[in-house]
Amino acid sequence: MLDTVREIETPEGVSLRLRAAGAFGRAQAWLLDTLLRAVVFFVGLGIFSMLGRGGVGLGLLLLFALTWVYNVVCEVWFHGQTIGKRVLGLRVVNADATPITLLPSVVRNLLRVVDALPGIYGVGLVVSIIDPSARRVGDIVAGTLVIHADELPAGSKVPVAAPQPLPLPLDADEQAALIEFAERSPQLTPQRQEELANILHPLTGREGSAAIAQISAYANGLLGRT
Amino acid sequence: MKQEQFVALHAEEWDKLGTWLAQLDRQPKLAMGGEHALDFPVAYRRVCHHLSLARARGYSREVTDRLQQIVQMGHRQLYRPPAPRWHKLAMFLVADFPRLVRQQWRYMLVALFLLYAPAVVAYVLILWKPALAHSLFTTRQLADFDKMYDPANSHIGRSSGTDLQMFGYYIMNNVSIAFRTFASGLLFGVGAIYVLAANGVVIGGVAGHLNAIGYGGPFWRFVVGHSGFELTAIVIAGGAGLQFGLSLLAPGRLPRELALRRAAWIGARLAMGAFAMLIAAAFIEAYWSSIASLPDVVKFGSGACIWLLVLWWLMRGGAGSKHAA
Repeated sequence: MLDTVREIETPEGVSLRLRAAGAFGRAQAWLLDTLLRAVVFFVGLGIFSMLGRGGVGLGLLLLFALTWVYNVVCEVWFHGQTIGKRVLGLRVVNADATPITLLPSVVRNLLRVVDALPGIYGVGLVVSIIDPSARRVGDIVAGTLVIHADELPAGSKVPVAAPQPLPLPLDADEQAALIEFAERSPQLTPQRQEELANILHPLTGREGSAAIAQISAYANGLLGRT
Repeated sequence: MKQEQFVALHAEEWDKLGTWLAQLDRQPKLAMGGEHALDFPVAYRRVCHHLSLARARGYSREVTDRLQQIVQMGHRQLYRPPAPRWHKLAMFLVADFPRLVRQQWRYMLVALFLLYAPAVVAYVLILWKPALAHSLFTTRQLADFDKMYDPANSHIGRSSGTDLQMFGYYIMNNVSIAFRTFASGLLFGVGAIYVLAANGVVIGGVAGHLNAIGYGGPFWRFVVGHSGFELTAIVIAGGAGLQFGLSLLAPGRLPRELALRRAAWIGARLAMGAFAMLIAAAFIEAYWSSIASLPDVVKFGSGACIWLLVLWWLMRGGAGSKHAA
Protein backbone atom coordinates (compact mmCIF):
# COMPACT_ATOMS: atom_id res chain seq x y z
CA MET A 1 0.00 0.00 0.00
CA LEU A 2 1.43 3.34 -1.02
CA ASP A 3 -0.63 5.58 1.20
CA THR A 4 0.99 5.57 4.61
CA VAL A 5 -1.33 8.13 6.20
CA ARG A 6 -3.41 6.74 9.06
CA GLU A 7 -6.46 8.60 10.29
CA ILE A 8 -6.98 8.46 14.04
CA GLU A 9 -10.09 9.92 15.62
CA THR A 10 -9.38 11.87 18.78
CA PRO A 11 -11.83 12.14 21.69
CA GLU A 12 -12.65 15.63 20.41
CA GLY A 13 -14.10 14.07 17.27
CA VAL A 14 -11.51 15.35 14.82
CA SER A 15 -9.34 12.99 12.86
CA LEU A 16 -5.59 13.25 13.12
CA ARG A 17 -3.56 12.21 10.11
CA LEU A 18 -0.45 10.30 11.14
CA ARG A 19 2.22 9.60 8.56
CA ALA A 20 3.66 6.18 9.31
CA ALA A 21 7.42 5.94 8.88
CA GLY A 22 8.73 3.29 6.52
CA ALA A 23 11.39 0.65 7.05
CA PHE A 24 14.15 2.67 5.39
CA GLY A 25 14.00 5.74 7.62
CA ARG A 26 13.67 3.56 10.67
CA ALA A 27 16.69 1.49 9.65
CA GLN A 28 18.70 4.70 9.30
CA ALA A 29 17.64 5.82 12.77
CA TRP A 30 18.56 2.41 14.17
CA LEU A 31 21.96 2.50 12.47
CA LEU A 32 22.65 5.93 13.91
CA ASP A 33 21.61 4.77 17.39
CA THR A 34 23.75 1.67 17.10
CA LEU A 35 26.83 3.63 16.04
CA LEU A 36 26.24 6.13 18.83
CA ARG A 37 25.85 3.38 21.40
CA ALA A 38 28.99 1.64 20.17
CA VAL A 39 30.95 4.89 20.58
CA VAL A 40 29.54 5.48 24.08
CA PHE A 41 30.32 1.89 25.04
CA PHE A 42 33.94 1.98 23.92
CA VAL A 43 34.57 5.43 25.41
CA GLY A 44 32.97 4.23 28.66
CA LEU A 45 35.03 1.06 28.61
CA GLY A 46 38.17 3.13 28.09
CA ILE A 47 37.37 5.28 31.12
CA PHE A 48 36.32 2.37 33.32
CA SER A 49 39.36 0.28 32.46
CA MET A 50 41.47 2.90 34.23
CA LEU A 51 39.69 1.87 37.44
CA GLY A 52 41.25 -1.57 37.36
CA ARG A 53 39.59 -4.93 36.86
CA GLY A 54 36.30 -3.92 38.44
CA GLY A 55 35.96 -1.49 35.54
CA VAL A 56 35.03 -4.38 33.28
CA GLY A 57 31.98 -4.91 35.47
CA LEU A 58 30.99 -1.27 35.05
CA GLY A 59 31.52 -1.66 31.32
CA LEU A 60 29.16 -4.62 31.28
CA LEU A 61 26.58 -2.64 33.24
CA LEU A 62 26.92 0.12 30.64
CA LEU A 63 26.46 -2.43 27.86
CA PHE A 64 23.36 -3.70 29.58
CA ALA A 65 21.94 -0.19 29.89
CA LEU A 66 22.68 0.60 26.25
CA THR A 67 21.20 -2.68 25.03
CA TRP A 68 18.01 -2.90 27.05
CA VAL A 69 17.36 0.38 28.87
CA TYR A 70 18.37 3.12 26.40
CA ASN A 71 15.42 2.69 24.03
CA VAL A 72 12.80 2.49 26.76
CA VAL A 73 14.11 5.54 28.64
CA CYS A 74 14.31 7.60 25.44
CA GLU A 75 10.83 6.62 24.32
CA VAL A 76 9.05 7.13 27.63
CA TRP A 77 10.82 10.25 28.91
CA PHE A 78 12.03 12.00 25.76
CA HIS A 79 8.87 12.33 23.65
CA GLY A 80 9.09 8.88 22.04
CA GLN A 81 12.39 9.64 20.34
CA THR A 82 15.79 8.03 20.65
CA ILE A 83 18.62 10.22 19.41
CA GLY A 84 18.61 8.46 16.04
CA LYS A 85 14.85 8.92 15.69
CA ARG A 86 15.17 12.57 16.67
CA VAL A 87 17.73 13.19 13.95
CA LEU A 88 15.56 11.41 11.37
CA GLY A 89 12.43 13.19 12.61
CA LEU A 90 10.64 10.02 13.75
CA ARG A 91 8.57 9.44 16.85
CA VAL A 92 7.06 6.39 18.54
CA VAL A 93 3.43 6.83 19.58
CA ASN A 94 0.62 4.57 20.71
CA ALA A 95 -1.71 3.49 17.94
CA ASP A 96 -4.22 6.15 19.11
CA ALA A 97 -1.56 8.87 18.68
CA THR A 98 -1.13 9.41 22.42
CA PRO A 99 2.43 9.49 23.77
CA ILE A 100 3.89 6.04 24.39
CA THR A 101 3.79 4.74 27.97
CA LEU A 102 6.11 2.41 29.85
CA LEU A 103 4.53 -0.99 29.17
CA PRO A 104 4.09 -0.68 25.40
CA SER A 105 7.63 0.66 25.19
CA VAL A 106 8.99 -2.28 27.19
CA VAL A 107 7.06 -4.73 25.00
CA ARG A 108 8.17 -3.25 21.68
CA ASN A 109 11.79 -3.10 22.77
CA LEU A 110 11.91 -6.59 24.31
CA LEU A 111 10.44 -7.97 21.09
CA ARG A 112 13.45 -6.66 19.19
CA VAL A 113 14.74 -10.14 20.09
CA VAL A 114 12.19 -11.61 17.68
CA ASP A 115 12.40 -8.82 15.07
CA ALA A 116 16.17 -9.03 14.92
CA LEU A 117 16.08 -12.78 14.44
CA PRO A 118 17.98 -13.95 11.41
CA GLY A 119 20.99 -11.68 11.69
CA ILE A 120 20.07 -8.02 11.36
CA TYR A 121 16.34 -7.36 11.69
CA GLY A 122 15.26 -9.86 9.03
CA VAL A 123 11.85 -10.56 10.54
CA GLY A 124 11.35 -6.89 11.34
CA LEU A 125 12.14 -5.84 7.77
CA VAL A 126 9.83 -8.40 6.15
CA VAL A 127 6.95 -7.69 8.53
CA SER A 128 7.28 -3.91 8.22
CA ILE A 129 7.22 -4.19 4.43
CA ILE A 130 4.04 -6.29 4.55
CA ASP A 131 2.28 -4.22 7.20
CA PRO A 132 0.41 -1.19 5.78
CA SER A 133 1.62 1.00 8.65
CA ALA A 134 5.17 -0.35 8.38
CA ARG A 135 5.08 -1.78 11.88
CA ARG A 136 7.49 -4.48 12.97
CA VAL A 137 6.40 -7.39 15.16
CA GLY A 138 7.17 -5.48 18.36
CA ASP A 139 5.01 -2.56 17.22
CA ILE A 140 2.10 -4.79 16.24
CA VAL A 141 2.12 -6.60 19.58
CA ALA A 142 2.67 -3.48 21.68
CA GLY A 143 0.09 -1.48 19.73
CA THR A 144 2.53 1.27 18.78
CA LEU A 145 3.42 3.12 15.60
CA VAL A 146 6.48 4.98 14.36
CA ILE A 147 5.45 8.21 12.66
CA HIS A 148 7.10 11.18 11.01
CA ALA A 149 7.20 13.82 13.71
CA ASP A 150 8.55 16.72 11.69
CA GLU A 151 6.08 19.33 10.55
CA LEU A 152 4.13 18.76 7.40
CA PRO A 153 5.58 20.64 4.46
CA ALA A 154 4.04 24.07 4.92
CA GLY A 155 0.86 24.20 2.85
CA SER A 156 1.80 26.01 -0.33
CA LYS A 157 -0.21 29.16 -0.81
CA VAL A 158 -2.48 29.94 -3.70
CA PRO A 159 -0.70 32.61 -5.77
CA VAL A 160 -2.42 35.95 -5.31
CA ALA A 161 -4.37 37.12 -8.34
CA ALA A 162 -7.36 39.36 -9.00
CA PRO A 163 -10.30 37.26 -7.75
CA GLN A 164 -13.20 36.43 -10.04
CA PRO A 165 -16.54 34.83 -9.14
CA LEU A 166 -17.40 31.44 -10.62
CA PRO A 167 -19.61 31.63 -13.71
CA LEU A 168 -21.75 28.72 -12.45
CA PRO A 169 -22.21 27.03 -9.05
CA LEU A 170 -19.86 24.11 -8.28
CA ASP A 171 -19.98 21.32 -5.68
CA ALA A 172 -17.79 21.57 -2.61
CA ASP A 173 -15.34 18.93 -3.86
CA GLU A 174 -15.16 20.58 -7.26
CA GLN A 175 -14.32 23.87 -5.56
CA ALA A 176 -11.70 22.08 -3.49
CA ALA A 177 -10.20 20.63 -6.68
CA LEU A 178 -9.88 24.12 -8.17
CA ILE A 179 -8.14 25.44 -5.06
CA GLU A 180 -5.83 22.43 -4.89
CA PHE A 181 -4.87 22.93 -8.51
CA ALA A 182 -4.02 26.57 -7.88
CA GLU A 183 -2.06 25.58 -4.78
CA ARG A 184 -0.04 22.85 -6.37
CA SER A 185 0.42 24.04 -9.93
CA PRO A 186 3.75 25.81 -9.13
CA GLN A 187 5.17 22.33 -8.42
CA LEU A 188 4.24 21.09 -11.94
CA THR A 189 5.89 21.75 -15.28
CA PRO A 190 4.17 24.45 -17.41
CA GLN A 191 3.21 21.79 -19.96
CA ARG A 192 1.49 19.66 -17.34
CA GLN A 193 -0.23 22.73 -15.86
CA GLU A 194 -1.66 23.60 -19.25
CA GLU A 195 -2.65 20.01 -19.94
CA LEU A 196 -4.64 19.90 -16.69
CA ALA A 197 -6.09 23.38 -17.09
CA ASN A 198 -7.28 22.57 -20.63
CA ILE A 199 -9.57 19.88 -19.17
CA LEU A 200 -11.57 22.71 -17.61
CA HIS A 201 -12.18 24.37 -20.95
CA PRO A 202 -15.99 24.14 -20.54
CA LEU A 203 -15.66 26.17 -17.31
CA THR A 204 -12.97 28.69 -18.21
CA GLY A 205 -13.55 28.95 -21.93
CA ARG A 206 -9.82 29.42 -22.42
CA GLU A 207 -6.80 27.37 -23.44
CA GLY A 208 -3.19 27.20 -22.33
CA SER A 209 -1.68 29.72 -19.88
CA ALA A 210 -4.80 31.87 -19.96
CA ALA A 211 -6.75 28.88 -18.54
CA ILE A 212 -4.24 28.57 -15.71
CA ALA A 213 -4.58 32.25 -14.85
CA GLN A 214 -8.36 31.98 -15.02
CA ILE A 215 -8.44 29.03 -12.58
CA SER A 216 -6.11 30.92 -10.25
CA ALA A 217 -8.52 33.85 -10.34
CA TYR A 218 -11.46 31.57 -9.50
CA ALA A 219 -9.46 30.02 -6.66
CA ASN A 220 -8.73 33.46 -5.23
CA GLY A 221 -12.40 34.23 -5.41
CA LEU A 222 -13.30 30.98 -3.66
CA LEU A 223 -10.83 31.71 -0.85
CA GLY A 224 -12.59 35.02 -0.33
CA ARG A 225 -9.67 37.27 -1.28
CA THR A 226 -10.58 40.78 -2.31
CA MET B 1 -17.71 31.87 5.48
CA LYS B 2 -14.85 32.23 3.02
CA GLN B 3 -11.47 30.79 3.92
CA GLU B 4 -9.68 34.12 4.10
CA GLN B 5 -12.25 35.56 6.51
CA PHE B 6 -12.01 32.43 8.67
CA VAL B 7 -8.23 32.74 8.87
CA ALA B 8 -8.36 36.46 9.59
CA LEU B 9 -10.85 35.83 12.39
CA HIS B 10 -8.96 33.05 14.19
CA ALA B 11 -5.30 33.17 13.14
CA GLU B 12 -4.24 35.06 16.25
CA GLU B 13 -5.80 32.39 18.49
CA TRP B 14 -4.07 29.57 16.57
CA ASP B 15 -0.70 31.28 16.71
CA LYS B 16 -1.03 31.81 20.45
CA LEU B 17 -1.75 28.14 21.11
CA GLY B 18 0.91 27.00 18.65
CA THR B 19 3.59 29.17 20.25
CA TRP B 20 2.65 28.02 23.73
CA LEU B 21 2.78 24.34 22.71
CA ALA B 22 6.17 24.82 21.09
CA GLN B 23 7.39 26.47 24.29
CA LEU B 24 6.00 23.56 26.32
CA ASP B 25 8.27 21.20 24.41
CA ARG B 26 11.35 23.30 25.01
CA GLN B 27 10.81 24.81 28.48
CA PRO B 28 8.00 22.85 30.16
CA LYS B 29 8.29 24.58 33.57
CA LEU B 30 8.14 28.10 32.16
CA ALA B 31 5.24 27.23 29.87
CA MET B 32 3.21 25.58 32.62
CA GLY B 33 3.72 28.62 34.84
CA GLY B 34 2.57 30.97 32.09
CA GLU B 35 -0.85 32.56 31.89
CA HIS B 36 -1.94 30.38 28.95
CA ALA B 37 -1.51 27.11 30.86
CA LEU B 38 -4.99 27.20 32.37
CA ASP B 39 -6.61 28.07 29.04
CA PHE B 40 -4.96 25.17 27.25
CA PRO B 41 -7.80 22.61 27.30
CA VAL B 42 -10.36 25.18 26.18
CA ALA B 43 -8.10 26.65 23.51
CA TYR B 44 -7.21 23.17 22.28
CA ARG B 45 -10.84 22.12 21.92
CA ARG B 46 -11.60 25.32 20.02
CA VAL B 47 -8.83 24.57 17.56
CA CYS B 48 -10.17 21.03 17.19
CA HIS B 49 -13.54 22.58 16.41
CA HIS B 50 -11.95 24.89 13.86
CA LEU B 51 -10.21 21.95 12.21
CA SER B 52 -13.51 20.10 11.88
CA LEU B 53 -15.13 23.21 10.42
CA ALA B 54 -12.26 23.78 8.01
CA ARG B 55 -12.46 20.21 6.76
CA ALA B 56 -16.24 20.23 6.49
CA ARG B 57 -16.18 23.49 4.54
CA GLY B 58 -13.52 22.20 2.21
CA TYR B 59 -10.92 24.83 3.06
CA SER B 60 -7.59 24.34 1.42
CA ARG B 61 -4.57 22.49 2.81
CA GLU B 62 -3.05 25.82 3.77
CA VAL B 63 -5.53 26.01 6.65
CA THR B 64 -6.17 22.35 7.43
CA ASP B 65 -2.47 21.45 7.55
CA ARG B 66 -1.77 24.34 9.84
CA LEU B 67 -4.60 23.37 12.20
CA GLN B 68 -3.76 19.69 12.05
CA GLN B 69 -0.22 20.51 13.16
CA ILE B 70 -1.47 22.41 16.21
CA VAL B 71 -4.03 19.73 17.08
CA GLN B 72 -1.38 17.04 16.86
CA MET B 73 0.92 18.92 19.24
CA GLY B 74 -1.96 19.62 21.62
CA HIS B 75 -3.17 16.02 21.53
CA ARG B 76 0.29 14.86 22.52
CA GLN B 77 0.32 17.15 25.54
CA LEU B 78 -3.26 16.71 26.69
CA TYR B 79 -3.16 12.91 26.59
CA ARG B 80 0.36 12.41 27.84
CA PRO B 81 0.82 9.73 30.51
CA PRO B 82 1.02 10.73 34.16
CA ALA B 83 4.52 11.20 35.58
CA PRO B 84 5.95 7.96 37.00
CA ARG B 85 5.87 7.64 40.77
CA TRP B 86 8.13 5.70 43.11
CA HIS B 87 5.10 4.65 45.09
CA LYS B 88 3.74 2.82 42.05
CA LEU B 89 7.03 0.98 41.57
CA ALA B 90 7.05 -0.11 45.21
CA MET B 91 3.43 -1.25 44.97
CA PHE B 92 4.28 -3.25 41.88
CA LEU B 93 7.14 -5.07 43.56
CA VAL B 94 5.37 -5.67 46.86
CA ALA B 95 1.88 -6.53 45.68
CA ASP B 96 1.10 -6.44 41.97
CA PHE B 97 3.95 -8.62 40.79
CA PRO B 98 3.34 -11.53 43.22
CA ARG B 99 -0.36 -11.29 42.41
CA LEU B 100 0.38 -11.52 38.70
CA VAL B 101 2.62 -14.54 39.27
CA ARG B 102 -0.14 -16.28 41.22
CA GLN B 103 -2.71 -15.35 38.60
CA GLN B 104 -0.55 -17.07 35.95
CA TRP B 105 0.20 -20.08 38.20
CA ARG B 106 -0.53 -22.67 35.52
CA TYR B 107 2.22 -21.35 33.26
CA MET B 108 4.56 -20.97 36.22
CA LEU B 109 4.00 -24.61 37.12
CA VAL B 110 4.77 -25.75 33.55
CA ALA B 111 7.87 -23.54 33.43
CA LEU B 112 8.95 -24.92 36.81
CA PHE B 113 8.66 -28.43 35.44
CA LEU B 114 10.48 -27.55 32.21
CA LEU B 115 13.43 -26.15 34.15
CA TYR B 116 13.71 -28.61 37.02
CA ALA B 117 12.84 -31.92 35.31
CA PRO B 118 15.77 -31.76 32.85
CA ALA B 119 17.97 -30.50 35.70
CA VAL B 120 17.11 -33.47 37.93
CA VAL B 121 17.49 -35.94 35.07
CA ALA B 122 20.90 -34.53 34.10
CA TYR B 123 21.97 -34.45 37.75
CA VAL B 124 21.01 -38.07 38.43
CA LEU B 125 22.44 -39.35 35.15
CA ILE B 126 25.83 -37.73 35.73
CA LEU B 127 25.97 -38.93 39.35
CA TRP B 128 25.23 -42.41 38.03
CA LYS B 129 27.76 -42.26 35.18
CA PRO B 130 30.19 -39.34 35.68
CA ALA B 131 31.68 -39.87 32.21
CA LEU B 132 28.41 -38.53 30.73
CA ALA B 133 29.56 -35.04 31.75
CA HIS B 134 31.98 -35.17 28.83
CA SER B 135 29.17 -35.56 26.33
CA LEU B 136 27.43 -32.48 27.80
CA PHE B 137 30.39 -30.11 28.23
CA THR B 138 33.74 -29.69 26.49
CA THR B 139 36.88 -30.59 28.39
CA ARG B 140 37.77 -26.93 28.64
CA GLN B 141 34.42 -26.05 30.22
CA LEU B 142 34.82 -28.90 32.71
CA ALA B 143 38.28 -27.67 33.63
CA ASP B 144 36.80 -24.19 34.20
CA PHE B 145 34.10 -25.58 36.48
CA ASP B 146 36.70 -27.55 38.41
CA LYS B 147 38.77 -24.43 38.90
CA MET B 148 35.78 -22.31 39.94
CA TYR B 149 34.62 -24.72 42.62
CA ASP B 150 38.00 -25.99 43.81
CA PRO B 151 37.69 -26.20 47.62
CA ALA B 152 41.11 -24.51 47.81
CA ASN B 153 39.81 -21.43 46.00
CA SER B 154 39.35 -18.33 48.19
CA HIS B 155 36.52 -17.03 45.99
CA ILE B 156 34.14 -19.78 45.03
CA GLY B 157 32.14 -19.72 41.84
CA ARG B 158 34.65 -17.90 39.69
CA SER B 159 38.05 -18.58 38.21
CA SER B 160 39.12 -14.94 38.32
CA GLY B 161 37.66 -11.45 38.51
CA THR B 162 36.54 -9.02 41.19
CA ASP B 163 33.13 -8.71 42.82
CA LEU B 164 32.16 -5.69 40.71
CA GLN B 165 33.29 -7.34 37.50
CA MET B 166 31.19 -10.41 38.23
CA PHE B 167 28.21 -8.26 39.25
CA GLY B 168 28.24 -6.58 35.84
CA TYR B 169 28.62 -9.93 34.17
CA TYR B 170 25.71 -11.50 36.06
CA ILE B 171 23.41 -8.57 35.28
CA MET B 172 24.24 -8.52 31.57
CA ASN B 173 24.11 -12.28 31.19
CA ASN B 174 21.19 -13.32 33.39
CA VAL B 175 18.84 -10.45 32.64
CA SER B 176 19.44 -10.86 28.93
CA ILE B 177 18.57 -14.54 29.25
CA ALA B 178 15.37 -13.69 31.12
CA PHE B 179 14.33 -11.07 28.56
CA ARG B 180 15.08 -13.38 25.65
CA THR B 181 13.16 -16.20 27.31
CA PHE B 182 10.07 -14.02 27.47
CA ALA B 183 10.41 -12.48 24.00
CA SER B 184 11.23 -15.72 22.20
CA GLY B 185 8.02 -17.14 23.67
CA LEU B 186 6.37 -15.38 20.73
CA LEU B 187 7.65 -18.19 18.50
CA PHE B 188 4.75 -20.36 19.70
CA GLY B 189 6.46 -20.80 23.06
CA VAL B 190 9.27 -22.83 21.50
CA GLY B 191 11.94 -20.28 22.44
CA ALA B 192 10.86 -20.24 26.07
CA ILE B 193 10.70 -24.04 26.25
CA TYR B 194 14.16 -24.34 24.72
CA VAL B 195 15.77 -21.78 27.05
CA LEU B 196 14.18 -23.37 30.12
CA ALA B 197 15.14 -26.93 29.22
CA ALA B 198 18.65 -26.02 28.06
CA ASN B 199 19.33 -24.08 31.25
CA GLY B 200 17.90 -26.96 33.27
CA VAL B 201 20.26 -29.45 31.62
CA VAL B 202 23.29 -27.20 32.13
CA ILE B 203 22.49 -26.46 35.77
CA GLY B 204 21.77 -30.13 36.54
CA GLY B 205 24.83 -31.22 34.60
CA VAL B 206 27.20 -28.89 36.45
CA ALA B 207 25.74 -29.88 39.80
CA GLY B 208 26.03 -33.57 38.97
CA HIS B 209 29.57 -33.27 37.67
CA LEU B 210 30.85 -31.30 40.67
CA ASN B 211 29.19 -33.68 43.11
CA ALA B 212 30.62 -36.66 41.28
CA ILE B 213 34.19 -35.38 41.56
CA GLY B 214 33.75 -34.40 45.20
CA TYR B 215 33.47 -30.61 44.80
CA GLY B 216 29.83 -30.68 45.87
CA GLY B 217 30.52 -28.77 49.08
CA PRO B 218 31.75 -25.49 47.56
CA PHE B 219 29.16 -25.73 44.79
CA TRP B 220 26.15 -25.94 47.08
CA ARG B 221 27.65 -23.33 49.41
CA PHE B 222 27.95 -21.03 46.41
CA VAL B 223 24.56 -21.47 44.83
CA VAL B 224 22.35 -21.74 47.89
CA GLY B 225 22.38 -17.98 48.49
CA HIS B 226 21.33 -16.59 45.15
CA SER B 227 19.48 -19.55 43.63
CA GLY B 228 16.26 -18.52 45.37
CA PHE B 229 16.04 -15.34 43.35
CA GLU B 230 17.82 -16.51 40.23
CA LEU B 231 16.10 -19.80 39.47
CA THR B 232 12.69 -18.44 40.42
CA ALA B 233 13.21 -15.43 38.15
CA ILE B 234 14.10 -17.72 35.23
CA VAL B 235 10.98 -19.79 35.91
CA ILE B 236 8.84 -16.63 35.94
CA ALA B 237 10.39 -15.32 32.72
CA GLY B 238 9.81 -18.75 31.16
CA GLY B 239 6.20 -18.78 32.33
CA ALA B 240 5.77 -15.30 30.85
CA GLY B 241 7.12 -16.59 27.52
CA LEU B 242 4.86 -19.64 27.61
CA GLN B 243 1.66 -17.68 28.17
CA PHE B 244 2.78 -15.28 25.44
CA GLY B 245 3.28 -18.10 22.94
CA LEU B 246 0.06 -19.84 23.91
CA SER B 247 -1.95 -16.66 23.34
CA LEU B 248 -0.82 -16.84 19.71
CA LEU B 249 -1.68 -20.55 19.41
CA ALA B 250 -4.94 -20.45 21.33
CA PRO B 251 -6.26 -16.90 21.60
CA GLY B 252 -9.58 -18.11 22.99
CA ARG B 253 -12.48 -15.76 22.36
CA LEU B 254 -10.34 -12.77 21.47
CA PRO B 255 -9.00 -11.83 18.07
CA ARG B 256 -5.40 -12.97 17.79
CA GLU B 257 -3.86 -9.50 17.81
CA LEU B 258 -5.75 -8.46 20.92
CA ALA B 259 -5.00 -11.73 22.73
CA LEU B 260 -1.33 -11.31 21.86
CA ARG B 261 -1.31 -7.72 23.12
CA ARG B 262 -2.88 -8.68 26.45
CA ALA B 263 -0.46 -11.56 26.90
CA ALA B 264 2.45 -9.27 26.01
CA TRP B 265 1.46 -6.74 28.65
CA ILE B 266 1.21 -9.44 31.30
CA GLY B 267 4.49 -10.90 30.08
CA ALA B 268 6.27 -7.56 30.09
CA ARG B 269 5.26 -6.94 33.69
CA LEU B 270 6.42 -10.42 34.66
CA ALA B 271 9.71 -9.78 32.85
CA MET B 272 10.12 -6.49 34.74
CA GLY B 273 9.60 -8.34 38.02
CA ALA B 274 12.08 -11.02 36.98
CA PHE B 275 14.51 -8.21 36.14
CA ALA B 276 14.24 -6.87 39.70
CA MET B 277 14.73 -10.37 41.11
CA LEU B 278 17.82 -10.92 38.98
CA ILE B 279 19.35 -7.66 40.21
CA ALA B 280 18.89 -8.97 43.77
CA ALA B 281 20.34 -12.33 42.70
CA ALA B 282 23.36 -10.68 41.06
CA PHE B 283 24.10 -8.68 44.23
CA ILE B 284 23.97 -11.81 46.36
CA GLU B 285 25.94 -13.86 43.86
CA ALA B 286 28.74 -11.32 43.46
CA TYR B 287 29.10 -10.05 47.01
CA TRP B 288 27.89 -12.82 49.31
CA SER B 289 27.87 -16.22 47.62
CA SER B 290 31.50 -15.94 46.61
CA ILE B 291 32.83 -15.56 50.17
CA ALA B 292 34.42 -18.91 50.91
CA SER B 293 35.44 -18.37 54.53
CA LEU B 294 31.96 -18.35 56.14
CA PRO B 295 30.86 -21.46 58.06
CA ASP B 296 28.29 -23.79 56.55
CA VAL B 297 25.63 -22.80 59.09
CA VAL B 298 25.72 -19.17 57.94
CA LYS B 299 25.78 -20.07 54.25
CA PHE B 300 22.98 -22.60 54.28
CA GLY B 301 21.00 -20.70 56.93
CA SER B 302 21.01 -17.51 54.90
CA GLY B 303 20.25 -19.45 51.73
CA ALA B 304 17.24 -21.09 53.35
CA CYS B 305 16.05 -17.70 54.63
CA ILE B 306 16.28 -16.22 51.12
CA TRP B 307 14.38 -19.14 49.61
CA LEU B 308 11.66 -18.81 52.26
CA LEU B 309 11.52 -15.06 51.71
CA VAL B 310 11.10 -15.46 47.94
CA LEU B 311 8.42 -18.11 48.32
CA TRP B 312 6.56 -16.15 51.01
CA TRP B 313 6.74 -13.00 48.90
CA LEU B 314 5.35 -14.72 45.80
CA MET B 315 2.70 -16.68 47.71
CA ARG B 316 1.47 -13.96 50.05
CA GLY B 317 2.55 -10.65 48.52
CA GLY B 318 -0.44 -8.40 47.88
CA ALA B 319 -2.89 -10.97 49.22
CA GLY B 320 -5.80 -9.39 51.06
CA SER B 321 -4.50 -5.92 50.34
CA LYS B 322 -7.00 -3.10 50.15
CA HIS B 323 -5.40 -1.77 46.97
CA ALA B 324 -6.53 -4.72 44.87
CA ALA B 325 -6.00 -3.81 41.24
